[in-house]
Amino acid sequence: MDITKKKRDFLRAVGFEKCHQAQEREEQKDFVPLYQDFENFYKRNLYTRVRDNWNRPICSLPGPVFDVMERVSDDYNWTFRLTGRTIENVINMGSYNYLGFAENNVDFLKTVAEETRQYGVGVCSTRQELGNLSTHEKLERLVAEFLGVESAMAFGMGFATNSMNIPALVGKGCLILSDELNHTSLILGARLSGATIRVFKHNNMQSLEKMLKDAICSGQPRTHRAWKKILIMVEGIYSMEGSLVRLPEILALKKKYKAYLYLDEAHSIGAVGPTGRGVTEYFGVDPNEVDVLMGTFTKSFGAAGGYIAGKKELVDYLRSHSHSAVYATAMSPPVVEQIIRAIKCIMGVDGTTEGQRRVRQLAENTRYLRSRLKEMGFIIYGNQDSPVVPLLLYLPGKVGAFSRAMLKRKIGVVVVGFPATPITEARARFCVSAAHTREMLDKVLQSLDELGDDIKLKFSRHRSSYRPELYDETDFELDS
Amino acid sequence: MALADAWKQLSWFYYQYVLVTALYMLEPWERTIFNSLLITVAAMAVYTGYVFMPQHIMAILHYFEVVQ
Repeated sequence: MDITKKKRDFLRAVGFEKCHQAQEREEQKDFVPLYQDFENFYKRNLYTRVRDNWNRPICSLPGPVFDVMERVSDDYNWTFRLTGRTIENVINMGSYNYLGFAENNVDFLKTVAEETRQYGVGVCSTRQELGNLSTHEKLERLVAEFLGVESAMAFGMGFATNSMNIPALVGKGCLILSDELNHTSLILGARLSGATIRVFKHNNMQSLEKMLKDAICSGQPRTHRAWKKILIMVEGIYSMEGSLVRLPEILALKKKYKAYLYLDEAHSIGAVGPTGRGVTEYFGVDPNEVDVLMGTFTKSFGAAGGYIAGKKELVDYLRSHSHSAVYATAMSPPVVEQIIRAIKCIMGVDGTTEGQRRVRQLAENTRYLRSRLKEMGFIIYGNQDSPVVPLLLYLPGKVGAFSRAMLKRKIGVVVVGFPATPITEARARFCVSAAHTREMLDKVLQSLDELGDDIKLKFSRHRSSYRPELYDETDFELDS
Repeated sequence: MALADAWKQLSWFYYQYVLVTALYMLEPWERTIFNSLLITVAAMAVYTGYVFMPQHIMAILHYFEVVQ
């Protein structure tokens, strides 16, 4: 395939092919080329061919089923046009709708409507100036109570929570030990802060311990002075692997070497743990032991934004020193109210058991989907209990074929390829939701079964039969 | 009837080949170029085999003194 890519590029350079993408102006042709680097090469020749599997326009809310607008391409994905038809009732296996709060049920949204009528939609100010509404204070108190920590602060955008607050917490002369597969927001925040960054292998405690030992023994790179702070950055659930962090071991290491821990629970808050409190509850660990708890409201709560929680001194410091608090607009009131009602629902404060039912339904759906997929013979990554299920496709050709075939069977999936995963490990990522019913999951499993045989995706050699063997009598003797 | 089944089976095999070699993503004219190159190389290999195999086999048998 590389040969074909190079041939195509050559043809384009020679002028045979009309160049569809951005190009420098005629006068600038002698300058250093702007559009020729490797990522663009990949993007031009590979991504564009399968581009129709991403950025699909949706015309309903992203609940368990949604409507997709149909679009076709006449010139192999350089341009698209909408045909005007919509594909209705496509089962949604890609939205981060873990507890099913992305719904438009009128009863549940009464308080949100009230709030919009009272406060409007825009805040028109930053938190520090005139944007600190009483709903924000209510939300922060509620988040702190939900997580079991002293205090919390909410921000308007989940990505910005990471990238704007890490520079406020660490600076030059500090050390950041971040996991190999951390999210871009964490990496961006770490780079912006100016601290030294060292990367340890994914979930590998020996690698982390070795790095901690080396860091404490040798100190800062040239002066060998002691580090001002050592911050370990990990995520609760890694979104591309579905693996859970090894929290008890990291806490033991942190106490031994006196480092700080920054836990990004973007996917795990609301989705793991017996009552949905996140990885701290899942492992039975006191949330006060983690120094900085960060999470987003986008995934399980069906809203937008992020929070940082921890000790009162930490959050008070962030209120005045965070870039986001000083410069970014405050969260919009209806969004805040949606988060408040979602948290109240999960905690059970509003008097119903709906929240508990959803958390239990999510756990059941996750376990059902994972065990059936493993029985069928697919290769799945990740922990038994994580609602993020990556199914490995391995070959880049199958990525496009898989996504198109699933859409034809009215199931919407997210497939991930090169820049987000290694190029030989393309995968399809399923996000289980509490709003999925057994019938929907069965339909998905059946389509996967047929597709798996058609495209040959059942790579696993550990297949166990899902029909228990029939014996006339038991293997072992029973004393009667 | 059997011909239709055989044709379906063959087209499924072609589909697998196209997926595994990532030809699935290429436009039809690129596929024809790649396929013709592959067939040319394969034909050359078969032709070479046809011309030189008897000589090689005789030489081996001669080495092991099975035939003089």
